[in-house]
Amino acid sequence: ENRESMLNSKSNRLTEALEEANRLFDGVCRAREAALDAQFLVIASNIGKEKANELHSEMSAFDSTAFAEDLLTFMGINRTEVEEADDSEDVPGDFLPSHAWQKMGEEAPKYFRRAPTFHYMMGSFKSEPPVRKQRIERQKKASRGKAERAMPAQLKEMEQSHQEATEKEVERILRILQTHFENDPNTPISFFDFVIDPNSFARTVENVFHVSFLARDGLAKIKLDEDELPIIEPVKPSEGEGGEEDSRAAARNQVVISLDQREWK
Amino acid sequence: QVSELVQFLLVKDQKKIPIKRADMLKNIIREYRNAYSEIVKRADRTLQEVFGLQLVEIDTKRHIYILINNLPRAEGQHLCRGKEKEKMGLLLVILSFIFMKGNSVKDSALWEFLHLLRVYPGKQHSVFGDVRKLVTEEFVRQKYLETTPIPLTDPPEFKFQWGPRAEKETSKKDVLNFVAKMQGKDPAFWASQFSEAEASQ
Repeated sequence: ENRESMLNSKSNRLTEALEEANRLFDGVCRAREAALDAQFLVIASNIGKEKANELHSEMSAFDSTAFAEDLLTFMGINRTEVEEADDSEDVPGDFLPSHAWQKMGEEAPKYFRRAPTFHYMMGSFKSEPPVRKQRIERQKKASRGKAERAMPAQLKEMEQSHQEATEKEVERILRILQTHFENDPNTPISFFDFVIDPNSFARTVENVFHVSFLARDGLAKIKLDEDELPIIEPVKPSEGEGGEEDSRAAARNQVVISLDQREWK
Repeated sequence: QVSELVQFLLVKDQKKIPIKRADMLKNIIREYRNAYSEIVKRADRTLQEVFGLQLVEIDTKRHIYILINNLPRAEGQHLCRGKEKEKMGLLLVILSFIFMKGNSVKDSALWEFLHLLRVYPGKQHSVFGDVRKLVTEEFVRQKYLETTPIPLTDPPEFKFQWGPRAEKETSKKDVLNFVAKMQGKDPAFWASQFSEAEASQ
């Protein structure tokens, strides 16, 4: 019970208690009392050990309060000049910022030889559903309606390869457009020259279809020239703020081009 | 077999919970029990040469191992997930306190000290959450700290000491240097701690 007072290095209370225990032991004749005495001895020896410990650290006194203060300073504590509340434990007058322990966390690894934890960089294989592909899916369904309904089981696979094929086609066409423009930068291409395939109506339609993607994504511009005929040119990728706005504004215009086989011919 | 063991060890180390030989035998080595020590030796070599890590036995009786870093500490940013770094910070502070106070402290003394740093066992901490759990369970399970009950105390009290992982991953000298840095003093200022740190090198 009087542990704290016994621990005080200046006190001899532990010694006194031991001496009294010795005296009492002479009168012991029952096992229970002997057990109590043994218990007392254990407690006493623990206290003795603690006292010895305290003695040890008192040789090079370590002021833990000062240490704590220094740690707080390191962590960036904001000490305000406020009157300390009576119960300073609950209401510290100063402010420990939220990144305080982060600061400590920056310093700490320097003192440890900790094995960095092993994690796979890429994680497991995931299938990607980018939004664009889904839109293509919908458009494709509309234009190919009847033929696909006949074979519902194979539908998914067909569409997958078509999605990729469409993407590739769009890219290919963009590249052709860009190359053409690189070679002859000031002459926009006539839209019809670009898309019409003299040998295949179907191909022509497909080309128009792919070009429409370029226009939708702002990668190409379709304008009317002096003769009121449509021309197409690629949009330069980095035109700065103004350029981006232009391409977005341009994409807002919807145009319906009709082309039937007779016209094509 | 060796590469399987290496992978096994690396994954097991993620939570920093020590690895038991029994687990290694059961999961990886299985039929090749006789070659166990050879496989482990080669795995350790791979870990050292390829990853710069080292397999260290921290309990020779029960055969428990941990992975530590073999490379000299690099300056600059360390990549860490989650709250790993902040927890390291708290741990360093605790280990410093324990060492400077003579290698063993009562739990009440430790919490009293952490109070000064606005860390309270009964209160949810904005960074560490349940601090009592972190200190008395997680750090102990990872073998950074060791806690033993003090006999015949009522209510039961515990004492905290360095755990075997702490002994391997850091040193008294490093920790003393940390304290010295924080307090802007020379490590030799604390004479007995200094000589103890030098002796343990």
